[in-house]
Amino acid sequence: MFQGFPEIKEALMSNKMQAGFMVAPMAIALRAQGVPIKIVYLGHRYGSAVVVAKNGPIRTFADLRGRTIAIPSRYSDERLIVFKALKQHGMSAKDIRMVEMAPPDVAGALAADAIDAFSMGEPYPSQAEMAGFGRILFHAREYWPDYISCVLVVRQDIIDHRPDAVQVLVDGIARSGLWLDNPPRRQVRREHAADFVGRYYYRQNPALLRWALTKPLDRVLYQPLTPRRGDFELIVSLMRETGVLDRPIAFEEYVDTRFAEGARHETEWRYEPGDATAQ
Amino acid sequence: MVPLKIIVAGAGAWLAIITAAHLSLNVDWNVLLNDRLPINKRKLNVAYIPVT
Repeated sequence: MFQGFPEIKEALMSNKMQAGFMVAPMAIALRAQGVPIKIVYLGHRYGSAVVVAKNGPIRTFADLRGRTIAIPSRYSDERLIVFKALKQHGMSAKDIRMVEMAPPDVAGALAADAIDAFSMGEPYPSQAEMAGFGRILFHAREYWPDYISCVLVVRQDIIDHRPDAVQVLVDGIARSGLWLDNPPRRQVRREHAADFVGRYYYRQNPALLRWALTKPLDRVLYQPLTPRRGDFELIVSLMRETGVLDRPIAFEEYVDTRFAEGARHETEWRYEPGDATAQ
Repeated sequence: MVPLKIIVAGAGAWLAIITAAHLSLNVDWNVLLNDRLPINKRKLNVAYIPVT
């Protein structure tokens, strides 16, 4: 487990990690710079929000004028969503101050009034809400209906030499997404997932993840996770517009869709809370 | 006066305990062993941060 996307980037480049989840613009920028990685799947859809102080003066997006907003990285969808909102409100990047901050630090920074807002993925918006000092100004989907953020990237040498292992990884994520988003069982399964992911993977309070995964149930979705050309071309276009990508890059250059296609017929895990194993 | 033999034995034991504690607490043996396997048998290391 890492605490920031730049560290994941370094670990992938040095081959300490062979695959990883990172924000889509960072993956595209790395590929544009010649780093041998490809996006093979999405991590989730939606799940990012702009959060402000609950009892603070910011009630509308226009109130952010002249304020400081934290983002996870200049190469993040959370930055691009702020640009989209700025544009929609007739404002520009000069009207606010954006600062990069490691995701685990933003809720504390908002509570301490060190920043006026943050644009971040879950569970940090939930953390600020749950603790009572944060309020969602808007969810990313309000300005970007097919919003995506974290993607799964794999080193090219692994794709070339071990495609079967990559397929197993993608199949597992696809099955987990189907399992989490099964409509009649969604609530109980998400609560169970929050419990074991909080305890054994994220080392976070399970109640926090339960909030992020269930309030409301579509706050974060885990399907469809197939990388779609239109979604990524929009990201590339926003990256170019906002000055973090200096050349056009073709979809095929940074995405390999064959593993998502291979996972298309997967079914959800056969597992219910309390079972000893998943099949 | 403490005999030299006891001082040397004590220092040796202390060194052995610290070395064993270091190897147990600070070295990720799974990663080291995984790196020594042939490339087609290695487990993939997947990086993530605690966000959705």
